[in-house]
Amino acid sequence: MHSRYRRAAAIASAAVATVLATAACAGGGSSSSSASPSASANAAAISKPVTISFDEVYSSGTLKTALQSAVTAFEKANPKITVDLTTYASYGPLLTAETAQVAAGKAPTIGQAYESWAEKFASSKVIVPISSLPGASSTMSTDLSTFYTGVQNDLKLPDGQVWMWPFDKSLQVLFYNADLLKADGITSTPATWTQFAADLKSASKNGVVGITIDPGNATEGVTSGEEWLEELAASNGTPVYTSNGTPQFTSPAVVSAMEYLVNLKKEGALATGSNYPGETALGAKKGLVDLSSSAGYYYEQQSVGGKFPLTTTVLPAGSTGSVDEMAGANLVVFASATTEQKAAAWKFLQYLSGPVEQAAWSAATGYYPVTSQALTEPSMASYLKQNPWVTSTITELNNAIVDPPYAWVTQCGIDLSTAISAALSGTSASSALSTAQSACTTAKSNG
Amino acid sequence: MIGTTTGAAGSARAQQGGGSKRARRAGRSRTRDFRYTKKGWLYSGPAVLIFGAFVIIPTFYTFYMSLWNWNVLNPSLSVYKGLGNYRELLTASDPGFLQTLWNSLYFTGAMVIAGTAISLCLALLLQRGGTTMNASRVAIYLPNATPLIATSLIWAWIYNPQFGLANWVLHSLHLPTSPWVEGQATSMPAVILFSLWHEVGFTTIIFLGGLTIINDEYSEAARVDGAGPWQEFWHIIWPQLRPVTSFVVVITTILSLQSFTQFYQLSGGGPNNATTTLSYLVYEESQVLQNTGYAAALAVVLFLITVFFSLVRWRTTPDIGITS
Repeated sequence: MHSRYRRAAAIASAAVATVLATAACAGGGSSSSSASPSASANAAAISKPVTISFDEVYSSGTLKTALQSAVTAFEKANPKITVDLTTYASYGPLLTAETAQVAAGKAPTIGQAYESWAEKFASSKVIVPISSLPGASSTMSTDLSTFYTGVQNDLKLPDGQVWMWPFDKSLQVLFYNADLLKADGITSTPATWTQFAADLKSASKNGVVGITIDPGNATEGVTSGEEWLEELAASNGTPVYTSNGTPQFTSPAVVSAMEYLVNLKKEGALATGSNYPGETALGAKKGLVDLSSSAGYYYEQQSVGGKFPLTTTVLPAGSTGSVDEMAGANLVVFASATTEQKAAAWKFLQYLSGPVEQAAWSAATGYYPVTSQALTEPSMASYLKQNPWVTSTITELNNAIVDPPYAWVTQCGIDLSTAISAALSGTSASSALSTAQSACTTAKSNG
Repeated sequence: MIGTTTGAAGSARAQQGGGSKRARRAGRSRTRDFRYTKKGWLYSGPAVLIFGAFVIIPTFYTFYMSLWNWNVLNPSLSVYKGLGNYRELLTASDPGFLQTLWNSLYFTGAMVIAGTAISLCLALLLQRGGTTMNASRVAIYLPNATPLIATSLIWAWIYNPQFGLANWVLHSLHLPTSPWVEGQATSMPAVILFSLWHEVGFTTIIFLGGLTIINDEYSEAARVDGAGPWQEFWHIIWPQLRPVTSFVVVITTILSLQSFTQFYQLSGGGPNNATTTLSYLVYEESQVLQNTGYAAALAVVLFLITVFFSLVRWRTTPDIGITS
């Protein structure tokens, strides 16, 4: 019996070890299928049916229908390619899913990814440079040159290679309740942040709070509140990060930006909330203005529901000018895809970023087109006529700020969000930012 | 037949061990115990396999990962750190480990003290019976039967400082309003209030069960001797409920330490990390920041704390009903 139990124990131990080893190997499975930089351009010709999977977050409203229309049109034009969409509710679940799929050796062909995610993916060798996709090397440069300058730069990681491809980009804009502007005697929307603060204070009465922001947290990821702080700081002359991702949260410009928010809160002109609180307040006629992504245009309209006219404007200027932050995740291609899938993926990326689809997508969703060629497409004409602010702001895509593409920037964004919460809760702006600076510096040193 | 075979095996083992009385008793005991037969192993096999695959192996794997700077995307790029992740627990900031531990203990303490007191009071009230009380039993238990994530979403709106029901009620009563989950000082109490609403139904049912098995003769004797309601509760009922109370305290402690959903949905760990508990930090580090090794170290610490309280329960809680 003894020997029998020993044998059983040995078998059990072996089983555990095997499962552990399998799990460990499964985690790295996707990396075994490495990039094929030598894949010839000939492989770009799709000779047999191929299915590519695309993990994305366009789960509702016009975003969902517009993407489905794009896929239908693409499949019609490329009958041998099938695009299998997998939709997630938001970017948090998307990252979790992409990570889990890569770890399980079943990564999607294409996935949306922020710059900091892409850097982590690339350093983990689970995505491939765009130029390595079959057929891309000969046409990528031409396609790239059609994009706005800021968009082009946003596609590169610190090694200088293009690892991402654009689909949708947005800038932050201000959505005003035009009736409240009129009632407060504000005849023109503010050109400076100083004037903006004065208008918010003047409008904050009778249950109305000038602006409501979401400072953000780990659950929500990047929010408009945190982006606003970055824009204020940059318009004061110092962005929150240097180009190599070094935080400069304690610089006078950033501290001044934080104090700006704190003063608004003290004056009762700023409230905080979660889950797009500014949009809710605006729609309920309890807010003068909402600072949000241009891609939120249709959601703002839905929230307002025709109760009052909506006035959309660009951001005011700070002491050194006007600075906007470009948002919108890019697309990456995972290394585990087959050569055929990579070839099909490149065709799909080209289609999505081309002027025809960009015009249709922008008109349907409120995102900015990534190429100026889209502006002259017929499907864009009526949209631009109805929304003249798009034409007047789109060139900001050439010089808008964007968070540097380093993995630690995700942690630093949460640190900044925490600093905003702390400062708005009574901690001094400099102390809150000092804590964030320390945490971010540690994150940077840990890589 | 099976029993005989196992019995023979048991006897053989007893002889191998020197033929002690204890070994022989063990052999006879196994003859009668179905769990030690081949069929017993066969029947329990699926459950053991599932438990092993989803609990035991992941637990050991977590211990293993906590010793590495783990690259979840490509484990071959992981770097061995030894106890480095555990050392970082003590030096981390924004949020610090000690702050999140304190938040966990704050939440757990409030849930144990308030939850136990409220559910005991409700159980004593419901025990009186009657149509209203019987209907109330369902009403009190109902929140616990609803999905935590769904009710968290609803309470997020109730707590909305600008448009929420809670502030509307306070305002209507001419009372000062609250920022609820948006305020650094009020966020944890707000999460606790919601959690109590959701959880006391469960512990109330446990106390009700305990009240049904206590011996009424002591209470009757006390009343005959002139004891008042409070004296009867304090000296007669409460001591008899000790094992139930102990169970409620320990199970509430363990569940509270592991609470996550309400922190994720209601407060997102904020503001300013005021509601970042150990469980939430494990999520943040593993899922958002992908610091898998560090998150594993946090999970191990949380596991050890939970094991500690489980052992406390094991050592201090007699079987319910023994004392009656």
